[in-house]
Amino acid sequence: MDTVDQPSQPSQDAPATASRWQAVQPWATLLSRLVLVGVMGYAGLSKISAPSLSVQSVAAYELFGDGLNQLIGYTLPFFEIALAVLLLVGLATRYVGAVVGLVMLVFIAGIASAWARGLTIDCGCFGTGGQVAAGDTEYGVDIARDAAFVLLAGIVMIWPRSPFALDRVLGLYPEPKAGA
Amino acid sequence: MSKAARRASRERLKQERLRQQQREKRNRLLAILGAAVVVVALIVGGGYLYMTTAGKQAEGYTGALAPQTRQDDGSVVMAKEGAKAPVVEVYADYQCPACMQFEATNSDTLKKLAADGDAIVHLRPVSIFAKQAAPLNANSLRAGAAARAAADYGKFVEYNDILFENQPAEGSEGFPADDLKAWGEEAGIKDPGFAKRVDAESKVVDTYTDLYGKAVAKAGEEQVAAMTPAKIIAAGGGSAADFDGTYVQEVFDATDGVNARYGPDSGDNAFTGTPAVYINGALQGQDVFRVDALTEAVKSAKPGEVDTKPAEPQPSGSPSASPSESPVEK
Repeated sequence: MDTVDQPSQPSQDAPATASRWQAVQPWATLLSRLVLVGVMGYAGLSKISAPSLSVQSVAAYELFGDGLNQLIGYTLPFFEIALAVLLLVGLATRYVGAVVGLVMLVFIAGIASAWARGLTIDCGCFGTGGQVAAGDTEYGVDIARDAAFVLLAGIVMIWPRSPFALDRVLGLYPEPKAGA
Repeated sequence: MSKAARRASRERLKQERLRQQQREKRNRLLAILGAAVVVVALIVGGGYLYMTTAGKQAEGYTGALAPQTRQDDGSVVMAKEGAKAPVVEVYADYQCPACMQFEATNSDTLKKLAADGDAIVHLRPVSIFAKQAAPLNANSLRAGAAARAAADYGKFVEYNDILFENQPAEGSEGFPADDLKAWGEEAGIKDPGFAKRVDAESKVVDTYTDLYGKAVAKAGEEQVAAMTPAKIIAAGGGSAADFDGTYVQEVFDATDGVNARYGPDSGDNAFTGTPAVYINGALQGQDVFRVDALTEAVKSAKPGEVDTKPAEPQPSGSPSASPSESPVEK
């Protein structure tokens, strides 16, 4: 995991592309970080005004028992907020990116399972979830959106070096040496 | 020292430095990871405490209920006599899990506010699930019609609580007629007319779900989901007359009513789903799922007017209103 601080596979016969990517990559990572900050932050914040609804959104998936639904409903919003905070300040960027990607994959699995079981629920991704009219489910859209977030998380995980990050201040992902 | 030995020693030093650097790098990474874990633990831990506090349900209200008055549209107003207070409209569907959450959290809050004369609580059951496949539509309508019947006996509020406590899980058959009748007794309805009415309404629900099935077979589920119940009945080849005077029809009307009252052109107040809580006609946000936020919203609102009239006494042969039923101030 620590050999990919710099772009890992510049095409051998296209050094120009490689160096352009080297220039662009930190900004691409920063942008990915910020988009994920917005997504995770909003997802978390929109759930905390009504704890019982947050629990309900989890319960709507009909996957867990009441106790676990409550635990997830109470902690997931703040877990999302915590990940957003870490991405914002750029601490442990690579690992947070990996966790965000994993969380998104879990969400996708949950939505797919609701879809497969014929449940008609809102994904509860933002704000309240729960039942919606059969015609109003948006499982495909939800999954596509989460898949896009997985890609962004992947960028952050594979190329964690970016400006405005505590990691950089703490010397975690140094500039690649010239010619590296 | 030979040249070779010097080179070897230089090499050793270099290796040593390299290992040292790697160690430092690893320690730095571990420290950063540790800090990140601490941040997550603090936020999630603090958040859990917050949610536990904010998510607390209202303390059980055991005092006397404010008088409940059936309205001309079948809804029920629970308010102290002569109360000058904000009107809190609650639109709920008995099959809707979020409504069950609202009820579990704040039913007692509303009872207390009404009993203290701080709110005029207007309970308006609807059936947004009437447009979904069985058993969702059947559960929702059977419960809605039974609650309407309970209102005839002045026991709506009690019955409403029992229904939500027994809400079936999504997709499973629930609110069977036998239970609905037993819960009537539990709520304090002794008149056998209630059980008869529940049985009759259950048959009406069966008729409707049949027609719904036919409508879906003809037009498809998505089309049907966009129809009003009257259109669904027509699309299924049924006759509207079969529903005249039934409580199932009253639940349909209540649902059409809220969609008209707070239609798409009502902006922020548009009715989009249940539960919907309006204070003096203003749609409230999710925070009314918290005891403190709902209480605060009600207490900071001005007195309002109920937009329905108390029901006329029933025609002869129908159950009489319970003594606790008394007209709300008008």
